[in-house]
Amino acid sequence: MGDLEEEYDYTKIPPTGSAEGIAAGAPEDSPRIGVYVCHCGINIKMTVDVEDVMRYAASLPNVVVARHYIFMCSDPGQDLIRKDLAAGRINRVVVASCSPRMHEPTFRKTCSDSGLNPFYYEMANIREHCSWPHGDFHKEATEKAKELVRSAVARSALLEPIEEKLVDVKPEALVIGGGVTGMYAALDIANGGYKVHLVESKPSIGGHVAQLSRTFPTLERTASLLTPRMIEVGAHPNIDLMTYSEVEEIGGYIGNFDVKVKRKPRYIDTEKCKDCTPCIEACPVKDIPDEFNEGLSTRSAIYIPFPFAVPPAYTIDAEHCLLLKEGKCGDATLETIKEGKAVPPCMAACPGVIDFEQKEEIEEFTAGTIIVATGYDLVNPEVSAEYKYGVYPNVITSMEFERLLSPGGPTGGKIELNGKEPKDIMFISCVGSRNKQVGNEYCSRVCCMYLAKQAYLAKEQLPDANVTVCFQDVRAFGKGFEEFYGDVKTKGVFYMRGLPGEIYKKPGSDRVVVRGENTLIGEPYEQEADLVVLGMGLAPNKDVESIISMLKLSTSVDGFLMEAHPKLRPVDTATDGIFIAGCCVSPKDITDSIAQGKATASGSLRYLVQGRAVIEPAISQIDEEICIGCGRCAEVCPYGALELDEVRHVMTVNEAICKGCGGCNSVCPSGAATMKHYRDRQVYAQIDALTEVTDVGRLAEPESASAAEVAAEASAGAADTGSETGEVEGAETEAVPSAG
Amino acid sequence: MGTLYEDMVDYGGEVFGREHLETLRECVQCGKCTGGCPSGRNTALRTRKLMQMALLDMREEIFNAPELWFCSTCFTCYERCPKGVKTTDIIRTLRNLAAKEGHMSVPHRMIGVYVMKTGHAVPIGPAQMELREAVGLESQPPTAQHPQNKEQLEQVQKLFRATNYDAMIDFDWDTMNLRGMDKGGKK
Amino acid sequence: MSGEDGGKEYAYFLGCITPNRYPGIEAATKKIFKGFGIESKEMVGASCCPAPGVFGSFDMHTWLPVAARNLAIAEEMGLEIFVTCNGCYATLQEADHLLKKHPKLKEKTNKILSEIGREYKGTTKVNHSIVIMHDIIGLDKLKERITKPMNDVNVAVHYGCHFLKPREVRGHGSSETPYILEDLVKVTGAKEVDYKDKLMCCGAGGGNRTADSVQSLEWTRQKLVNATIAGCDCMVHPCAFCHLQLDRGQAEMNKAFGTDFNFPILFITQFLGLAMGLSVKELGLDIQTTTIPEKLLK
Repeated sequence: MGDLEEEYDYTKIPPTGSAEGIAAGAPEDSPRIGVYVCHCGINIKMTVDVEDVMRYAASLPNVVVARHYIFMCSDPGQDLIRKDLAAGRINRVVVASCSPRMHEPTFRKTCSDSGLNPFYYEMANIREHCSWPHGDFHKEATEKAKELVRSAVARSALLEPIEEKLVDVKPEALVIGGGVTGMYAALDIANGGYKVHLVESKPSIGGHVAQLSRTFPTLERTASLLTPRMIEVGAHPNIDLMTYSEVEEIGGYIGNFDVKVKRKPRYIDTEKCKDCTPCIEACPVKDIPDEFNEGLSTRSAIYIPFPFAVPPAYTIDAEHCLLLKEGKCGDATLETIKEGKAVPPCMAACPGVIDFEQKEEIEEFTAGTIIVATGYDLVNPEVSAEYKYGVYPNVITSMEFERLLSPGGPTGGKIELNGKEPKDIMFISCVGSRNKQVGNEYCSRVCCMYLAKQAYLAKEQLPDANVTVCFQDVRAFGKGFEEFYGDVKTKGVFYMRGLPGEIYKKPGSDRVVVRGENTLIGEPYEQEADLVVLGMGLAPNKDVESIISMLKLSTSVDGFLMEAHPKLRPVDTATDGIFIAGCCVSPKDITDSIAQGKATASGSLRYLVQGRAVIEPAISQIDEEICIGCGRCAEVCPYGALELDEVRHVMTVNEAICKGCGGCNSVCPSGAATMKHYRDRQVYAQIDALTEVTDVGRLAEPESASAAEVAAEASAGAADTGSETGEVEGAETEAVPSAG
Repeated sequence: MGTLYEDMVDYGGEVFGREHLETLRECVQCGKCTGGCPSGRNTALRTRKLMQMALLDMREEIFNAPELWFCSTCFTCYERCPKGVKTTDIIRTLRNLAAKEGHMSVPHRMIGVYVMKTGHAVPIGPAQMELREAVGLESQPPTAQHPQNKEQLEQVQKLFRATNYDAMIDFDWDTMNLRGMDKGGKK
Repeated sequence: MSGEDGGKEYAYFLGCITPNRYPGIEAATKKIFKGFGIESKEMVGASCCPAPGVFGSFDMHTWLPVAARNLAIAEEMGLEIFVTCNGCYATLQEADHLLKKHPKLKEKTNKILSEIGREYKGTTKVNHSIVIMHDIIGLDKLKERITKPMNDVNVAVHYGCHFLKPREVRGHGSSETPYILEDLVKVTGAKEVDYKDKLMCCGAGGGNRTADSVQSLEWTRQKLVNATIAGCDCMVHPCAFCHLQLDRGQAEMNKAFGTDFNFPILFITQFLGLAMGLSVKELGLDIQTTTIPEKLLK
C-alpha cells in the first residue's frame, strides 16, 4: 500500500462537501434520496476517492443531494442527515460507509429521530467490502464503491416503510446449566425480583467449580466460597431449581419461549430424605467410578454426589441400580415391593423414602429469556497418547489432582498415589490445548494458573518433594496472576521450559520417566517422577448438542458457542432473548465466568423489566390474493412460523416466530410469500444496478426478455411504492408509534 | 538465492506443496520435537534449534553441522508437533539444499553410485545369489539389476541423468564411480 | 485383481534388502500369501524404491521420478503393489500420495518419465504386506493355519518408522497406539510384551546408518537391551531395512562395542511361518546373523 499512499494525497480532500443531485426539485411523493459518503477517517478515504463517489451518487436517479463527511457516524455527521430530513429535502437515506452490522442501527435511529421510517434507510458497505480488501487498488476500489452506491440507491428507491412490532415478555427466565455461571445469572435475576427456572442435568448444582480445591491466585477454599451461593440458589423463593433435569424442547420466540423440561426420577422422596448414610451402606453395588472424584474413588448406586450438594438429596442411579437395571436386587423385584414382600436393602435400611415407582416427569413453562451456561468438558487426556494417560497410573489429569488436593476428595486432601506420597511431581502444561494434532488450536486460558496453584499446593503439602512444571509459555495475564506466579517459583517450584516429548515407565520400577528438552539450555533430559499431572485443556460440553440445535445457536470453529459479536456483544446471540455465558462460550476462569453470568442477567433483565420486546420486522408476508395454500413454505420453514388457514385456504405467518430467513420466499411456487424489506423487486433492482455496465445512472439495455421484465417491474415498483405503505401496517400486533 | 526459508519453501514446495513447508514459521519453540527425538538422545541433533536456525537464515551453520544427517526421518516429532510444523520434511528439504551446495559425504554419495550402477542401493552379489537359492528362490529376481534387464537399468540411469543427480554427486559415467576414485575405493 | 483360483494378485515390489540380503523374507512372504490364494507377481525391471531417507534427503526431485517409474511398472501390470520393507512403503506410498495430490507435480514428473517411455497415471495402490495379512486375509483365517502355537513366547514388536508415520500419508490410525502388528503376533498365541521405547526407530533410517554407523548402532543396542530387560524372546517387525540393522547390526555391534548379542530377529512372515509349521530353512532363518532359539520351534 506504501506506494499508493504516496501517489494519492488523501489529505487534499476536505472533511466535507456536497453536490446537488439530479432529482433535486422532484415532487414530494416521489423517492428523494440523500446519499452520504463516509471517509471513516482514512479507512475509506485512503483507498476510495470519496469526492468522486459523491459526485457520481449525485448523478444517480432519484438522488436529491449527495454529501461526503469524515465520520458519518459522529454527531456532526448524523446532523447532515437530520438537517436534510428536517428541511424536507429528502425522504430516503443512503449512507456509504461500513458494515450494517456496525452502524445500521445508528443511522436507522438517526432517521427515526427525524420522523422518517427507519426502513427507508439503506447502507452501502464501502469499507469491509471495498476499501479494506482492495487497499492496493485505488482506482478500481473507487469504481467498485460507485457500483455499491448505485446498487444501494436503486434499492433505496423501492423501499417501503415497516412498523416495528412489540411482543409481551413473560417475566421469567430460563437458565440452562447450574454451574457457577448459571448460578450467578440466576441469582441476579431472582434478586431483581423475577422468577428463574434453573435447569441442571446433574443431581446437584455447583458444576466443575465444586470439584476444585482452591482458587487461583487467592488460594481460597473453593467449597467455602461456593457453598453459601449454592444454598442461596437452592433456597431462593424466585428460583425454580430443577436438578437432575434436562431441557427437552424449546419453541417460541423472545418473550415467549415454550420450554419442556424432563425431570429424571431420583427414586427418592427428596422431602423426606435426611441425607444420612444407611442406604449407601446397604446398597450392594459399590464399584461405580465416582464422577465427582474423577473416578479416583467409587460410589454405590444410591448416592449423593458430594456432601455439600444442593439439593442435599440422594439419587438412585438407574444405570447401575440392580433393581432398575436387571429387575432384581437380592430377592426384591418391583413386584415384591408392590406386594409388600421382599424389598431391596436400601429400602430396608431407610423405609418410606425410596420410591421405585417414580417416573420421569415433563414440566412445561414459558420463559421470556434464555441464558445458556452449559460449561465445558475436560479434553480427553488420551488424545496426547505420548503421555500415556490410562496406561500408567502415575499419569493423572489436573482435575484428578484437584480431587487429591480437596479435603473432601478420595484421599482427604492428601497428595498420594496408591497410598504413597510422591517424591517427584511433574506438571505438564498445554495438554489438549494449543495443539493442532489434537484439533484444539485455542489456549484454554486457565491451565497456566491452575497448574501454578497446584504446584504451589503440592510444594506446600510436601515441602521435600521435587515439583517441576514443564511449560511452553506462562500466561499470567489476570489480576494478581503474575505476582502469584512469582510466589509459586519462590516457594521452590521449578519451571522448566519445554513441552515434554513422551513418558515411559522406568523398567523394574513403579516410577515413570519424563523425556523432554529444557529448551533454555538446549539439552534433552530424562527426569523420573512418581506423579505426572497433565494440565488438561477445556473443550465444549458435548452433552449439550441437542440444546444447541434446539436454540439454533451457532458455534465457532473451535466448537464453542458463537457470540453475536466477539468484541461488542460477548454474551448475546444472533437470536434476541437468548444469551450465552461462561465456558460454553470460551474457556475462562471463575471470575470471568461470574462476570459473564451477571452480564447475561443484565441482558435478560432489560427485557423482563420492560415486559416488551421488539421483534424482527423484516419477515415473511403472504399475499393472500395469490396464495394457493399449497404448504410448500411450511415444509421448509425451520421455525414453524407458517400455518394453513383452513377456512380461507391460505398460509399465514406467525410474525413473532418468523425470523425472516427467506426460505418460504424461495420455494413459493406462486410468488405469494415475500419478505418485507427484501421484496423481489428490491433485490432485483439491487442486482441490476450492480450488473449494469454503463457508467452513469441509466439501466443498461437489457440483453434478454427476462431482464427487460425485471427492469420494467423495478420501475413499476418504484412508481407504486406509496400505495403499498398502508398494507404492511397490519393491526395484528401493537405498532411502535413513529417517533417525531 | 533467497533466504534459507525462501529457498526451502521454493525447493521443497514443488514436491510437498509450499504450505507444507511454510509451517516452519508456526514453530513456537516448545521443544516437544527434541524432547522425544531418539537421535537427540544420542547425538547433537536438536530439532527445535534447527527450526530456529532455519528461520534465522543460519545456512552455513546448518549445512556444516554433521547432526543435520543424524535425523533418521522417524517422523516422531512430525506427528507430535502441536503446531503441525512438518519438521521431518523440513529437515529433508534442508538436506536437499545442503547436498546441492556440496555438503554430502562420500558414503552418502556412494549410495547413488550403487543405484546408477545396478539399479539398487544394496546390490546383489554371488554369495547372496546362493542364499536365494537356499530358500528356493531364483538366484536373481527380475529387477533392474538382472543381466537380462539392461534396458530397464538404462531407464533408471536416464532418470538420474535427467535430474542431474549424476552431476550433484560428481559421478563419472566412464568409470561408473565417483570422479577421482578408484573402482570401489572409499575416501 | 482376481487370480486364476479366485484369489488375489499383487505386484510384489521387492526393493533391495529383501531380495539381495534377506531372501528368507521374500520366500516366507510369498509362501504364506500363496497359502491364502494370493499371488505375488514379479515387477520386471523394478529398481531401488529409491530409499526415502537417503534419496529423499539428497534430491527429492530425483527421488520422485524414480519412484514414479516403479509405480508405473505396477500400473502397467494392472495390479496393486505390496511391499515387505517400510522404506519401500515410505517411498512408494508417499510418492503416490504426492503425485495424486499435486497435479502440477504429476505433470512435471511425467515429462521426465516420457524420456524413458513411461507414464505415471495414478491407478495403483501401495500396500504393506502386514495390512494384507491383517485386513485382506484376516486374523481368523491366519489363526486357522497355526499349527505350532507360540504360546510361551514373549514377543517384542518393533514397527519401524515409516509404516505408521506420517499418519496423514500412511492412514493406519494413531502412531502412538498401533495395533496391526500386535494383532498378527497374538494370532500365533504368543504374548506381545510392552518394552521401553517400543515405537523407537531401529537407528538405520534417513541415511543415519551411512552417516555414522557406530552411532546408529547405539540406537539399535538400546532397543535390544530394552526388549531383553522386558523379558522378550525375540523381536518381530515388518521392515527389511530394520531387519538388516537389527540382525546384521548385532554382529557389527558385537565388534564395535565388544558385546555378545544374539537376540532373535524375525520378519513378521517368518514368525507366522514358524507358527504355521514352515521350517527354519524354508524361511531363511538359518541364513541370518542371529539364531532362532528352540523355544520358537517347539
